[in-house]
Amino acid sequence: MVFPNGTVALKEANLEIAQGEFISLIGPSGCGKTTLLRLLADLIQPSAGSIRIGGKTPEEARKSRAYGYVFQAPTLMEWRTVLQNVMLPLEVMGVPKAEHKPRAERMLALVGLGKFARHYPWQLSGGMQQRVSIARALAFDPQLLFMDEPFGALDEITRENLNLELLRLWRETGKTIIFVTHSIPEAVFLSTRIVVMTPRPGKIETVIPVDLPQPRNFETRETTRFFEIATLVREALRKGHGFEVSE
Amino acid sequence: MLRLSPNLVPMLVVALVVLVLYWPLMYLANIPAAQRALDTGAVLPCKTALECATQLRSPVLPSPQQLWQGFGNLMFPLNSQSAIPLNAAVTALETLVGLLLAAMLGFFFAIGMVASRAFERSLLPWIVASQTVPIIAIAPMLVVVLGQYGVQGWLPKAIIAAYIAFFPITIGVAKGLKSPDPLSLDLMKTYNASSWQTYLKLRFPASVPYLFTAFKVAMTAALIGAIVAEISTISFQGIGKMLAENSRASDVVAMWVIMLSSAALGILLVALVNWVEHLATPWRRVPQREGGGR
Ligand SMILES: Nc1ncnc2c1ncn2[C@@H]1O[C@H](COP(=O)(O)OP(=O)(O)OP(=O)(O)O)[C@@H](O)[C@H]1O
Ligand SMILES: [Mg+2]
Repeated sequence: MVFPNGTVALKEANLEIAQGEFISLIGPSGCGKTTLLRLLADLIQPSAGSIRIGGKTPEEARKSRAYGYVFQAPTLMEWRTVLQNVMLPLEVMGVPKAEHKPRAERMLALVGLGKFARHYPWQLSGGMQQRVSIARALAFDPQLLFMDEPFGALDEITRENLNLELLRLWRETGKTIIFVTHSIPEAVFLSTRIVVMTPRPGKIETVIPVDLPQPRNFETRETTRFFEIATLVREALRKGHGFEVSE
Repeated sequence: MLRLSPNLVPMLVVALVVLVLYWPLMYLANIPAAQRALDTGAVLPCKTALECATQLRSPVLPSPQQLWQGFGNLMFPLNSQSAIPLNAAVTALETLVGLLLAAMLGFFFAIGMVASRAFERSLLPWIVASQTVPIIAIAPMLVVVLGQYGVQGWLPKAIIAAYIAFFPITIGVAKGLKSPDPLSLDLMKTYNASSWQTYLKLRFPASVPYLFTAFKVAMTAALIGAIVAEISTISFQGIGKMLAENSRASDVVAMWVIMLSSAALGILLVALVNWVEHLATPWRRVPQREGGGR
Protein backbone atom coordinates (compact mmCIF):
# COMPACT_ATOMS: atom_id res chain seq x y z
CA MET A 1 0.00 0.00 0.00
CA VAL A 2 1.59 3.23 -1.18
CA PHE A 3 -0.11 6.53 -0.28
CA PRO A 4 -0.22 9.33 -2.88
CA ASN A 5 2.54 11.16 -1.03
CA GLY A 6 4.84 8.18 -1.54
CA THR A 7 4.64 6.72 1.96
CA VAL A 8 4.94 2.97 1.71
CA ALA A 9 2.59 1.94 4.46
CA LEU A 10 2.30 -1.77 3.76
CA LYS A 11 4.59 -3.93 1.71
CA GLU A 12 4.13 -7.60 2.39
CA ALA A 13 0.83 -8.60 3.83
CA ASN A 14 -0.29 -12.04 2.81
CA LEU A 15 -2.79 -13.50 5.14
CA GLU A 16 -5.74 -15.79 4.98
CA ILE A 17 -8.32 -15.64 7.69
CA ALA A 18 -10.90 -18.35 8.19
CA GLN A 19 -14.44 -17.63 9.22
CA GLY A 20 -14.95 -17.46 12.96
CA GLU A 21 -11.33 -16.62 13.73
CA PHE A 22 -10.22 -13.98 16.21
CA ILE A 23 -7.17 -12.32 14.73
CA SER A 24 -5.10 -9.73 16.58
CA LEU A 25 -2.84 -7.32 14.78
CA ILE A 26 0.03 -6.18 16.96
CA GLY A 27 2.99 -4.03 16.10
CA PRO A 28 4.70 -0.74 16.83
CA SER A 29 2.99 2.56 16.12
CA GLY A 30 2.98 3.44 12.43
CA CYS A 31 3.49 -0.10 11.15
CA GLY A 32 0.29 -0.01 9.12
CA LYS A 33 -2.28 -1.76 11.30
CA THR A 34 -4.93 0.91 10.75
CA THR A 35 -3.99 1.03 7.08
CA LEU A 36 -4.58 -2.72 6.80
CA LEU A 37 -8.02 -2.45 8.43
CA ARG A 38 -8.95 0.47 6.21
CA LEU A 39 -7.96 -1.54 3.16
CA LEU A 40 -10.14 -4.44 4.29
CA ALA A 41 -13.01 -2.03 4.96
CA ASP A 42 -12.78 -0.35 1.54
CA LEU A 43 -12.08 3.02 3.14
CA ILE A 44 -8.93 3.17 1.02
CA GLN A 45 -8.02 1.23 -2.11
CA PRO A 46 -4.82 -0.82 -2.40
CA SER A 47 -2.20 0.41 -4.86
CA ALA A 48 -1.41 -3.24 -5.64
CA GLY A 49 -2.61 -6.66 -4.61
CA SER A 50 -6.04 -8.01 -3.98
CA ILE A 51 -8.33 -8.58 -1.05
CA ARG A 52 -11.26 -10.96 -0.81
CA ILE A 53 -13.75 -11.10 2.02
CA GLY A 54 -15.83 -14.25 1.83
CA GLY A 55 -15.29 -14.21 -1.94
CA LYS A 56 -16.32 -10.56 -2.23
CA THR A 57 -14.18 -7.52 -2.90
CA PRO A 58 -13.98 -5.08 0.02
CA GLU A 59 -16.31 -2.76 -1.87
CA GLU A 60 -18.93 -5.47 -2.29
CA ALA A 61 -18.51 -6.44 1.35
CA ARG A 62 -19.00 -2.83 2.43
CA LYS A 63 -22.05 -2.42 0.24
CA SER A 64 -23.62 -5.55 1.69
CA ARG A 65 -22.90 -4.18 5.16
CA ALA A 66 -20.87 -7.23 5.99
CA TYR A 67 -18.71 -5.67 8.67
CA GLY A 68 -18.78 -3.34 11.64
CA TYR A 69 -15.85 -1.01 12.21
CA VAL A 70 -14.76 0.34 15.59
CA PHE A 71 -12.45 3.26 14.93
CA GLN A 72 -9.41 4.20 16.97
CA ALA A 73 -11.40 7.27 18.16
CA PRO A 74 -15.03 6.99 19.36
CA THR A 75 -16.48 9.23 16.56
CA LEU A 76 -19.79 9.64 18.34
CA MET A 77 -22.23 12.28 17.17
CA GLU A 78 -22.44 14.96 19.80
CA TRP A 79 -26.06 15.84 19.05
CA ARG A 80 -27.25 12.30 19.68
CA THR A 81 -27.70 10.73 23.07
CA VAL A 82 -25.74 7.58 23.78
CA LEU A 83 -28.78 5.48 22.89
CA GLN A 84 -29.39 7.40 19.67
CA ASN A 85 -25.75 6.95 18.71
CA VAL A 86 -26.09 3.20 19.00
CA MET A 87 -29.30 3.38 16.95
CA LEU A 88 -27.56 5.22 14.09
CA PRO A 89 -26.59 2.17 11.98
CA LEU A 90 -30.04 0.69 12.46
CA GLU A 91 -31.60 3.90 11.12
CA VAL A 92 -29.25 4.05 8.16
CA MET A 93 -29.73 0.40 7.30
CA GLY A 94 -33.50 0.55 7.45
CA VAL A 95 -33.98 -1.91 10.30
CA PRO A 96 -37.67 -1.88 11.36
CA LYS A 97 -38.19 1.04 13.68
CA ALA A 98 -39.69 -0.98 16.51
CA GLU A 99 -36.40 -2.87 16.88
CA HIS A 100 -34.14 0.17 17.20
CA LYS A 101 -34.56 0.91 20.86
CA PRO A 102 -34.60 -2.60 22.34
CA ARG A 103 -31.58 -3.61 20.26
CA ALA A 104 -29.61 -0.50 21.15
CA GLU A 105 -30.47 -0.95 24.82
CA ARG A 106 -29.30 -4.55 24.72
CA MET A 107 -25.97 -3.52 23.19
CA LEU A 108 -25.48 -0.78 25.77
CA ALA A 109 -26.15 -3.23 28.57
CA LEU A 110 -23.57 -5.52 26.99
CA VAL A 111 -20.84 -2.88 27.27
CA GLY A 112 -22.01 -1.95 30.75
CA LEU A 113 -23.53 1.42 29.89
CA GLY A 114 -27.22 0.66 30.31
CA LYS A 115 -27.56 3.50 32.81
CA PHE A 116 -26.09 6.08 30.47
CA ALA A 117 -28.50 5.70 27.56
CA ARG A 118 -29.87 9.22 27.91
CA HIS A 119 -26.54 10.98 28.41
CA TYR A 120 -24.79 12.94 25.73
CA PRO A 121 -21.33 11.80 24.61
CA TRP A 122 -19.53 14.72 26.24
CA GLN A 123 -20.90 13.64 29.59
CA LEU A 124 -18.98 10.35 29.30
CA SER A 125 -15.32 9.57 29.86
CA GLY A 126 -13.15 8.67 26.88
CA GLY A 127 -13.27 4.98 27.72
CA MET A 128 -17.05 5.03 28.08
CA GLN A 129 -17.35 6.77 24.72
CA GLN A 130 -15.25 4.03 23.17
CA ARG A 131 -17.56 1.40 24.65
CA VAL A 132 -20.53 3.20 23.10
CA SER A 133 -18.81 2.99 19.74
CA ILE A 134 -18.36 -0.76 20.26
CA ALA A 135 -22.04 -1.13 21.10
CA ARG A 136 -22.81 0.82 17.94
CA ALA A 137 -20.71 -1.51 15.79
CA LEU A 138 -22.40 -4.54 17.32
CA ALA A 139 -25.91 -3.12 16.98
CA PHE A 140 -26.55 -4.31 13.44
CA ASP A 141 -25.03 -7.72 14.13
CA PRO A 142 -22.39 -7.84 11.40
CA GLN A 143 -20.67 -11.18 10.78
CA LEU A 144 -17.28 -9.48 10.62
CA LEU A 145 -15.85 -6.95 13.07
CA PHE A 146 -12.87 -4.67 12.58
CA MET A 147 -11.72 -3.19 15.86
CA ASP A 148 -8.93 -0.63 15.93
CA GLU A 149 -7.53 -0.46 19.47
CA PRO A 150 -11.01 -0.39 20.98
CA PHE A 151 -9.76 -0.79 24.54
CA GLY A 152 -6.70 1.42 24.27
CA ALA A 153 -8.22 4.12 26.45
CA LEU A 154 -9.40 1.86 29.25
CA ASP A 155 -8.00 0.95 32.64
CA GLU A 156 -6.64 -2.55 33.12
CA ILE A 157 -9.58 -3.99 35.04
CA THR A 158 -12.28 -2.62 32.75
CA ARG A 159 -10.23 -3.78 29.82
CA GLU A 160 -9.99 -7.33 31.17
CA ASN A 161 -13.71 -7.40 31.82
CA LEU A 162 -14.49 -6.19 28.31
CA ASN A 163 -12.00 -8.71 26.91
CA LEU A 164 -14.03 -11.42 28.59
CA GLU A 165 -17.30 -9.96 27.27
CA LEU A 166 -15.92 -9.70 23.77
CA LEU A 167 -14.67 -13.26 23.89
CA ARG A 168 -18.06 -14.50 25.07
CA LEU A 169 -19.79 -12.57 22.33
CA TRP A 170 -17.40 -13.98 19.77
CA ARG A 171 -17.94 -17.56 20.97
CA GLU A 172 -21.70 -17.23 21.07
CA THR A 173 -22.15 -15.49 17.75
CA GLY A 174 -19.37 -17.06 15.71
CA LYS A 175 -18.30 -13.66 14.39
CA THR A 176 -14.96 -13.15 12.72
CA ILE A 177 -13.02 -10.44 14.53
CA ILE A 178 -9.93 -8.57 13.40
CA PHE A 179 -8.59 -6.69 16.36
CA VAL A 180 -5.75 -4.16 16.62
CA THR A 181 -3.99 -3.84 19.94
CA HIS A 182 -0.75 -2.68 21.52
CA SER A 183 -1.14 -5.00 24.48
CA ILE A 184 0.56 -8.39 24.33
CA PRO A 185 -1.56 -9.99 27.12
CA GLU A 186 -4.72 -8.75 25.44
CA ALA A 187 -3.67 -10.23 22.10
CA VAL A 188 -2.75 -13.56 23.64
CA PHE A 189 -5.89 -13.76 25.71
CA LEU A 190 -8.32 -12.97 22.90
CA SER A 191 -6.88 -14.38 19.70
CA THR A 192 -6.88 -17.59 17.80
CA ARG A 193 -3.90 -16.17 15.90
CA ILE A 194 -1.70 -13.15 16.44
CA VAL A 195 -0.33 -11.26 13.46
CA VAL A 196 2.89 -9.50 14.41
CA MET A 197 3.68 -6.56 12.15
CA THR A 198 6.87 -4.56 11.75
CA PRO A 199 7.35 -1.03 10.41
CA ARG A 200 9.26 0.77 7.64
CA PRO A 201 7.90 -0.55 5.40
CA GLY A 202 4.97 -2.16 7.18
CA LYS A 203 4.87 -5.91 6.74
CA ILE A 204 3.68 -9.03 8.47
CA GLU A 205 6.60 -10.43 10.46
CA THR A 206 5.06 -13.64 11.71
CA VAL A 207 1.74 -15.17 12.53
CA ILE A 208 1.61 -16.86 15.92
CA PRO A 209 -1.18 -19.36 16.56
CA VAL A 210 -2.63 -19.31 20.05
CA ASP A 211 -3.59 -22.78 21.21
CA LEU A 212 -4.97 -21.82 24.59
CA PRO A 213 -8.15 -23.82 25.20
CA GLN A 214 -11.60 -22.27 24.98
CA PRO A 215 -13.53 -21.04 26.85
CA ARG A 216 -10.91 -18.77 28.32
CA ASN A 217 -11.38 -17.05 31.65
CA PHE A 218 -9.40 -15.13 34.22
CA GLU A 219 -7.34 -18.22 35.11
CA THR A 220 -6.18 -18.49 31.50
CA ARG A 221 -3.95 -15.51 32.14
CA GLU A 222 -2.15 -17.37 34.91
CA THR A 223 -1.21 -20.46 32.90
CA THR A 224 2.32 -21.26 31.76
CA ARG A 225 1.21 -21.59 28.15
CA PHE A 226 -0.12 -18.04 28.28
CA PHE A 227 3.28 -16.72 29.27
CA GLU A 228 5.07 -18.86 26.70
CA ILE A 229 2.98 -17.42 23.88
CA ALA A 230 3.33 -13.89 25.26
CA THR A 231 7.12 -14.37 25.17
CA LEU A 232 6.96 -15.53 21.56
CA VAL A 233 5.01 -12.41 20.62
CA ARG A 234 7.42 -10.18 22.51
CA GLU A 235 10.41 -11.68 20.74
CA ALA A 236 8.82 -11.30 17.35
CA LEU A 237 8.07 -7.66 18.15
CA ARG A 238 11.67 -7.07 19.27
CA LYS A 239 12.96 -8.44 16.02
CA GLY A 240 10.78 -5.93 14.23
CA HIS A 241 12.17 -3.11 16.32
CA GLY A 242 15.68 -4.16 15.33
CA PHE A 243 16.62 -5.25 18.85
CA GLU A 244 18.70 -8.38 19.18
CA VAL A 245 16.84 -11.18 20.86
CA SER A 246 18.82 -12.00 23.94
CA GLU A 247 18.85 -15.32 25.75
CA MET B 1 -33.76 33.96 30.82
CA LEU B 2 -32.46 33.03 34.24
CA ARG B 3 -29.27 31.94 32.51
CA LEU B 4 -28.52 35.56 31.78
CA SER B 5 -28.53 36.65 35.40
CA PRO B 6 -24.76 36.46 36.02
CA ASN B 7 -24.21 38.66 32.96
CA LEU B 8 -26.93 41.04 34.01
CA VAL B 9 -25.05 42.59 36.90
CA PRO B 10 -21.99 43.78 34.92
CA MET B 11 -24.34 44.89 32.15
CA LEU B 12 -26.33 47.02 34.57
CA VAL B 13 -23.15 48.46 36.03
CA VAL B 14 -22.07 49.56 32.56
CA ALA B 15 -25.52 51.06 31.94
CA LEU B 16 -25.27 52.97 35.20
CA VAL B 17 -21.80 54.28 34.39
CA VAL B 18 -22.98 55.41 30.95
CA LEU B 19 -25.94 57.17 32.53
CA VAL B 20 -23.74 58.91 35.11
CA LEU B 21 -21.30 60.02 32.43
CA TYR B 22 -24.08 61.02 30.07
CA TRP B 23 -25.37 63.82 32.26
CA PRO B 24 -22.26 66.05 32.37
CA LEU B 25 -21.58 65.23 28.72
CA MET B 26 -25.07 66.34 27.76
CA TYR B 27 -24.64 69.66 29.59
CA LEU B 28 -21.23 70.15 28.06
CA ALA B 29 -22.62 69.63 24.58
CA ASN B 30 -25.82 71.60 24.98
CA ILE B 31 -24.82 74.69 26.98
CA PRO B 32 -23.12 76.48 24.05
CA ALA B 33 -26.16 75.79 21.87
CA ALA B 34 -28.47 77.02 24.64
CA GLN B 35 -26.37 80.16 25.07
CA ARG B 36 -26.59 80.85 21.36
CA ALA B 37 -30.34 80.40 21.44
CA LEU B 38 -30.63 82.84 24.37
CA ASP B 39 -28.34 85.33 22.63
CA THR B 40 -30.49 85.36 19.52
CA GLY B 41 -33.43 86.14 21.73
CA ALA B 42 -35.46 83.06 20.90
CA VAL B 43 -38.58 82.56 22.94
CA LEU B 44 -37.64 79.93 25.49
CA PRO B 45 -39.36 78.76 28.65
CA CYS B 46 -36.06 79.08 30.54
CA LYS B 47 -33.73 81.86 31.60
CA THR B 48 -30.20 80.51 32.02
CA ALA B 49 -28.11 78.44 29.61
CA LEU B 50 -27.87 75.74 32.27
CA GLU B 51 -31.63 75.51 32.48
CA CYS B 52 -32.15 75.65 28.75
CA ALA B 53 -29.58 72.91 28.09
CA THR B 54 -32.18 70.28 28.88
CA GLN B 55 -34.99 71.89 26.86
CA LEU B 56 -33.56 72.67 23.43
CA ARG B 57 -35.71 71.75 20.45
CA SER B 58 -32.70 70.43 18.53
CA PRO B 59 -30.27 69.41 21.24
CA VAL B 60 -26.85 68.00 20.40
CA LEU B 61 -27.57 65.35 23.00
CA PRO B 62 -31.14 65.09 24.28
CA SER B 63 -31.57 65.20 28.02
CA PRO B 64 -32.91 62.09 29.74
CA GLN B 65 -36.14 63.96 30.49
CA GLN B 66 -36.56 64.78 26.81
CA LEU B 67 -35.91 61.17 25.84
CA TRP B 68 -38.44 60.00 28.39
CA GLN B 69 -41.01 62.41 27.03
CA GLY B 70 -40.13 61.41 23.48
CA PHE B 71 -40.71 57.78 24.29
CA GLY B 72 -44.03 58.69 25.83
CA ASN B 73 -45.05 60.54 22.68
CA LEU B 74 -43.84 57.96 20.19
CA MET B 75 -44.90 54.74 21.90
CA PHE B 76 -48.59 55.55 22.26
CA PRO B 77 -51.16 54.81 21.19
CA LEU B 78 -49.82 51.35 20.56
CA ASN B 79 -51.76 50.80 17.35
CA SER B 80 -51.20 54.25 15.89
CA GLN B 81 -49.77 54.44 12.37
CA SER B 82 -47.27 57.03 13.55
CA ALA B 83 -46.17 55.33 16.78
CA ILE B 84 -43.18 53.08 17.17
CA PRO B 85 -44.82 49.72 18.07
CA LEU B 86 -46.70 49.22 14.80
CA ASN B 87 -43.78 50.46 12.70
CA ALA B 88 -41.28 48.33 14.61
CA ALA B 89 -43.53 45.34 14.08
CA VAL B 90 -43.55 45.96 10.34
CA THR B 91 -39.75 46.26 10.27
CA ALA B 92 -39.45 43.11 12.38
CA LEU B 93 -41.73 41.28 9.96
CA GLU B 94 -39.63 42.40 7.00
CA THR B 95 -36.49 41.32 8.81
CA LEU B 96 -37.83 37.90 9.76
CA VAL B 97 -39.29 37.17 6.33
CA GLY B 98 -36.01 38.38 4.85
CA LEU B 99 -34.09 36.04 7.11
CA LEU B 100 -36.31 33.14 6.10
CA LEU B 101 -35.81 33.88 2.41
CA ALA B 102 -32.09 34.25 3.06
CA ALA B 103 -32.01 30.91 4.87
CA MET B 104 -33.62 29.13 1.93
CA LEU B 105 -31.27 30.77 -0.53
CA GLY B 106 -28.30 30.19 1.79
CA PHE B 107 -29.05 26.48 2.17
CA PHE B 108 -29.44 26.10 -1.56
CA PHE B 109 -26.08 27.72 -2.27
CA ALA B 110 -24.32 25.99 0.63
CA ILE B 111 -25.48 22.51 -0.39
CA GLY B 112 -24.50 23.25 -3.95
CA MET B 113 -21.08 24.42 -2.84
CA VAL B 114 -20.46 21.36 -0.66
CA ALA B 115 -21.83 18.90 -3.21
CA SER B 116 -20.00 20.28 -6.23
CA ARG B 117 -16.58 21.83 -6.49
CA ALA B 118 -17.48 23.26 -9.89
CA PHE B 119 -20.54 24.95 -8.42
CA GLU B 120 -18.45 26.47 -5.66
CA ARG B 121 -15.72 27.66 -7.97
CA SER B 122 -18.08 29.20 -10.51
CA LEU B 123 -20.53 30.78 -8.11
CA LEU B 124 -18.65 31.83 -4.99
CA PRO B 125 -16.90 34.81 -6.62
CA TRP B 126 -20.28 36.11 -7.78
CA ILE B 127 -21.82 35.60 -4.37
CA VAL B 128 -18.97 37.59 -2.84
CA ALA B 129 -19.28 40.23 -5.55
CA SER B 130 -23.00 40.59 -4.87
CA GLN B 131 -22.13 41.77 -1.35
CA THR B 132 -19.78 44.48 -2.51
CA VAL B 133 -22.59 46.43 -4.15
CA PRO B 134 -23.82 48.93 -1.55
CA ILE B 135 -27.28 47.97 -0.44
CA ILE B 136 -28.33 51.60 -0.51
CA ALA B 137 -27.60 51.69 -4.25
CA ILE B 138 -29.56 48.54 -4.97
CA ALA B 139 -32.61 49.14 -2.82
CA PRO B 140 -34.43 51.86 -4.82
CA MET B 141 -33.80 50.06 -8.08
CA LEU B 142 -35.06 46.74 -6.71
CA VAL B 143 -38.19 48.37 -5.39
CA VAL B 144 -38.95 49.96 -8.73
CA VAL B 145 -38.34 46.72 -10.61
CA LEU B 146 -40.36 44.65 -8.16
CA GLY B 147 -43.11 47.27 -8.25
CA GLN B 148 -43.50 46.62 -11.97
CA TYR B 149 -44.42 43.04 -11.09
CA GLY B 150 -46.91 44.21 -8.50
CA VAL B 151 -44.68 43.37 -5.52
CA GLN B 152 -45.26 46.24 -3.13
CA GLY B 153 -45.40 47.21 0.53
CA TRP B 154 -43.25 45.26 2.97
CA LEU B 155 -42.25 42.43 0.63
CA PRO B 156 -39.64 44.33 -1.40
CA LYS B 157 -38.00 45.36 1.88
CA ALA B 158 -37.91 41.73 3.01
CA ILE B 159 -36.28 40.83 -0.30
CA ILE B 160 -33.66 43.52 0.17
CA ALA B 161 -33.05 42.28 3.72
CA ALA B 162 -32.62 38.77 2.31
CA TYR B 163 -30.16 40.10 -0.25
CA ILE B 164 -27.60 40.98 2.41
CA ALA B 165 -28.56 38.26 4.91
CA PHE B 166 -28.10 35.28 2.61
CA PHE B 167 -24.36 35.77 2.42
CA PRO B 168 -23.42 35.01 6.05
CA ILE B 169 -25.90 32.13 6.02
CA THR B 170 -24.41 30.64 2.87
CA ILE B 171 -20.89 30.81 4.26
CA GLY B 172 -21.92 29.56 7.71
CA VAL B 173 -23.96 26.62 6.47
CA ALA B 174 -21.31 25.62 3.94
CA LYS B 175 -18.74 25.61 6.73
CA GLY B 176 -21.10 23.61 8.94
CA LEU B 177 -21.83 21.05 6.23
CA LYS B 178 -18.10 20.56 5.78
CA SER B 179 -17.45 20.36 9.53
CA PRO B 180 -17.86 16.58 10.17
CA ASP B 181 -14.46 15.01 10.69
CA PRO B 182 -13.18 12.45 8.15
CA LEU B 183 -13.69 9.55 10.56
CA SER B 184 -17.39 10.33 10.93
CA LEU B 185 -17.70 10.38 7.16
CA ASP B 186 -15.84 7.05 7.06
CA LEU B 187 -18.28 5.70 9.62
CA MET B 188 -21.22 6.56 7.38
CA LYS B 189 -19.35 4.94 4.51
CA THR B 190 -18.99 1.69 6.44
CA TYR B 191 -22.78 1.71 6.80
CA ASN B 192 -22.99 2.14 3.04
CA ALA B 193 -25.10 5.24 3.73
CA SER B 194 -26.45 7.09 0.70
CA SER B 195 -25.30 10.64 0.26
CA TRP B 196 -28.77 11.83 1.25
CA GLN B 197 -28.49 9.84 4.49
CA THR B 198 -25.07 11.31 5.12
CA TYR B 199 -26.60 14.77 4.82
CA LEU B 200 -29.57 13.91 6.97
CA LYS B 201 -27.77 12.06 9.75
CA LEU B 202 -24.40 13.77 9.75
CA ARG B 203 -23.93 16.95 7.74
CA PHE B 204 -27.14 18.77 8.63
CA PRO B 205 -27.00 18.14 12.38
CA ALA B 206 -23.31 19.01 12.42
CA SER B 207 -24.08 22.33 10.77
CA VAL B 208 -26.69 23.42 13.30
CA PRO B 209 -24.32 25.34 15.62
CA TYR B 210 -22.78 27.06 12.59
CA LEU B 211 -26.25 27.85 11.33
CA PHE B 212 -27.21 29.72 14.48
CA THR B 213 -23.98 31.67 14.59
CA ALA B 214 -24.69 32.65 10.99
CA PHE B 215 -28.28 33.51 11.87
CA LYS B 216 -27.16 35.98 14.50
CA VAL B 217 -24.94 37.79 12.04
CA ALA B 218 -27.58 37.55 9.33
CA MET B 219 -30.31 38.85 11.62
CA THR B 220 -28.52 42.14 12.26
CA ALA B 221 -27.66 42.37 8.58
CA ALA B 222 -31.28 41.77 7.63
CA LEU B 223 -32.48 44.42 10.07
CA ILE B 224 -30.07 46.96 8.59
CA GLY B 225 -31.22 45.91 5.13
CA ALA B 226 -34.86 46.36 6.01
CA ILE B 227 -34.34 49.80 7.56
CA VAL B 228 -32.12 51.00 4.74
CA ALA B 229 -34.71 49.76 2.27
CA GLU B 230 -37.43 51.67 4.11
CA ILE B 231 -35.39 54.84 4.16
CA SER B 232 -34.26 54.73 0.57
CA THR B 233 -37.64 53.97 -0.98
CA ILE B 234 -41.14 55.27 -0.65
CA SER B 235 -42.48 53.65 2.51
CA PHE B 236 -45.64 54.06 4.46
CA GLN B 237 -44.65 51.98 7.45
CA GLY B 238 -41.55 50.92 9.33
CA ILE B 239 -38.74 52.21 11.49
CA GLY B 240 -36.94 53.51 8.42
CA LYS B 241 -39.96 55.53 7.36
CA MET B 242 -40.14 57.12 10.83
CA LEU B 243 -36.44 57.96 10.70
CA ALA B 244 -36.79 59.57 7.27
CA GLU B 245 -39.85 61.53 8.35
CA ASN B 246 -38.31 62.89 11.53
CA SER B 247 -35.08 63.63 9.75
CA ARG B 248 -36.97 65.86 7.36
CA ALA B 249 -38.67 67.49 10.36
CA SER B 250 -35.29 67.83 12.14
CA ASP B 251 -36.79 66.31 15.26
CA VAL B 252 -33.58 65.25 16.97
CA VAL B 253 -35.24 63.88 20.08
CA ALA B 254 -37.60 61.70 18.06
CA MET B 255 -34.68 60.39 16.00
CA TRP B 256 -32.86 59.45 19.16
CA VAL B 257 -35.90 57.65 20.44
CA ILE B 258 -36.35 55.78 17.16
CA MET B 259 -32.67 54.91 17.04
CA LEU B 260 -32.75 53.51 20.56
CA SER B 261 -35.92 51.60 19.72
CA SER B 262 -34.34 50.05 16.65
CA ALA B 263 -31.37 49.03 18.78
CA ALA B 264 -33.78 47.37 21.19
CA LEU B 265 -35.48 45.68 18.25
CA GLY B 266 -32.12 44.35 17.07
CA ILE B 267 -31.31 42.99 20.52
CA LEU B 268 -34.75 41.43 20.71
CA LEU B 269 -34.36 39.70 17.34
CA VAL B 270 -30.92 38.33 18.20
CA ALA B 271 -32.28 37.16 21.55
CA LEU B 272 -34.98 35.36 19.58
CA VAL B 273 -32.28 33.49 17.65
CA ASN B 274 -30.52 32.66 20.92
CA TRP B 275 -33.72 31.29 22.33
CA VAL B 276 -34.47 29.13 19.28
CA GLU B 277 -30.87 27.93 19.36
CA HIS B 278 -31.28 26.95 22.98
CA LEU B 279 -34.36 24.91 22.08
CA ALA B 280 -32.83 23.37 18.98
CA THR B 281 -29.55 22.21 20.50
CA PRO B 282 -30.41 20.30 23.67
CA TRP B 283 -27.04 18.55 23.61
CA ARG B 284 -25.20 21.81 24.20
CA ARG B 285 -27.12 22.69 27.32
CA VAL B 286 -24.90 22.52 30.32
CA PRO B 287 -26.87 21.17 33.28
CA GLN B 288 -27.00 23.32 36.38
CA ARG B 289 -24.19 22.57 38.75
CA GLU B 290 -24.75 22.56 42.45
CA GLY B 291 -24.55 25.97 44.03
CA GLY B 292 -26.34 27.99 41.40
CA GLY B 293 -26.26 28.62 37.68
CA ARG B 294 -23.25 29.06 35.54
N1 LIG C 1 -3.49 9.07 4.34
C1 LIG C 1 -2.18 8.83 4.49
N2 LIG C 1 -1.28 9.39 3.65
C2 LIG C 1 0.04 9.15 3.79
N3 LIG C 1 0.57 8.36 4.73
C3 LIG C 1 -0.26 7.76 5.59
C4 LIG C 1 -1.68 7.97 5.53
N4 LIG C 1 -2.26 7.25 6.52
C5 LIG C 1 -1.26 6.63 7.17
N5 LIG C 1 -0.07 6.93 6.61
C6 LIG C 1 1.25 6.41 7.02
O1 LIG C 1 1.18 5.02 6.96
C7 LIG C 1 1.89 4.45 8.05
C8 LIG C 1 1.02 3.48 8.79
O2 LIG C 1 -0.01 4.19 9.43
P1 LIG C 1 -1.12 3.46 10.28
O3 LIG C 1 -2.11 4.49 10.72
O4 LIG C 1 -1.65 2.30 9.54
O5 LIG C 1 -0.29 2.97 11.56
P2 LIG C 1 -0.77 2.13 12.81
O6 LIG C 1 -0.05 0.84 12.78
O7 LIG C 1 -2.24 2.06 12.87
O8 LIG C 1 -0.20 2.98 14.02
P3 LIG C 1 -0.83 3.25 15.48
O9 LIG C 1 -0.53 2.05 16.29
O10 LIG C 1 -0.09 4.44 15.96
O11 LIG C 1 -2.29 3.51 15.30
C9 LIG C 1 2.39 5.58 8.90
O12 LIG C 1 3.76 5.77 8.63
C10 LIG C 1 1.60 6.78 8.44
O13 LIG C 1 2.39 7.93 8.50
MG1 LIG D 1 -3.70 2.92 14.10
